[in-house]
Amino acid sequence: MAETKTHTFPTQQAMPRLQLASAWRVVVLNDPVNLMSYVVMIFKKVFGFDETTARRHMLEVHEQGRSVVWTGLREKAEAYTFTLQQWHLTAVLESDGAV
Amino acid sequence: MEPFEIALSLPVVAPLLDVVKELADGLKESLAAPPALPETDSVFRDLWTQELLAAQNEEVAALLALFNEEFFTEGVIALGPGNAEAIARACSAIRLRLRERYLRPLGDEALEIGEVELAQLDAPTRKAFMCYLFLATIQEYIIQRLDESIIGS
Repeated sequence: MAETKTHTFPTQQAMPRLQLASAWRVVVLNDPVNLMSYVVMIFKKVFGFDETTARRHMLEVHEQGRSVVWTGLREKAEAYTFTLQQWHLTAVLESDGAV
Repeated sequence: MEPFEIALSLPVVAPLLDVVKELADGLKESLAAPPALPETDSVFRDLWTQELLAAQNEEVAALLALFNEEFFTEGVIALGPGNAEAIARACSAIRLRLRERYLRPLGDEALEIGEVELAQLDAPTRKAFMCYLFLATIQEYIIQRLDESIIGS
C-alpha cells in the first residue's frame, strides 16, 4: 500500500522563483588568440561535452562571436564562468533579465 | 596522461624567452584577459579577480620552470600530469598579452589564421610573433595529450 503523505504544492509565488533561479547562462565570446583545438579541449574537459558538441560550440563562438555553453542555477553558472576564465577564455555570465 | 618530453631548438627558442619573461613579469599584477564579472558586491569581485590572478601566477611560474638547466644543456622540456594544464593556460595568458602588447597592429584576422609576412615585420614584432607561434606549438602538444586522457577517462 502506498504511503499517504500530506503534500504541500508549490504556491504561485514559489513557481516563478524557481524559474528565475534557473535563468543564468554561461556565454563564451570569441577571441582571436586562443586556438580552436584549445577551446574544444576546454569544453570537453569542463562540461564533459563529446567531440561533436564541443566543436559545435567552438564553431559557434568562432563564427557568431558567442555561444551559450551552459544554462542553469546562478551558483553553478558562476563556477563554470570562473573555470573558463581560469583557462583564459572570455566567458561571461548572463541572466535572462527577469531577475 | 603519461609524462612526455619535447625537444626544442635552443638557438631558435632561447632568444624568445626574453619576451616570455618580460610578459610574465607584467602578468604578476594583472590578468591576461580581464573578466567581465557578474553584478555583485565589490568584495566578491575582488576575491574573484584575486583568485584568478593567483592561479595565473602559478601557471606562469610553471611555464618559466620548464626552461631550466636541462633545457639550456639538452634543449628538452618535460611535461606531464603535474604541469601540463598549467602550462597550456600560461601559454594562453602570454599569447593574449603578446597580442595586446605587440601584435594588435597585425589585425585579428591575420592572428587567427596565423598568416603573417615575417619579412615585413620590424624586429621586436617579428620576435613577438615567433614567440606567439612557439607557445601555440607547445599548447598543441599538450592539447593532443590532454585530449587523449579526456577520451581515456
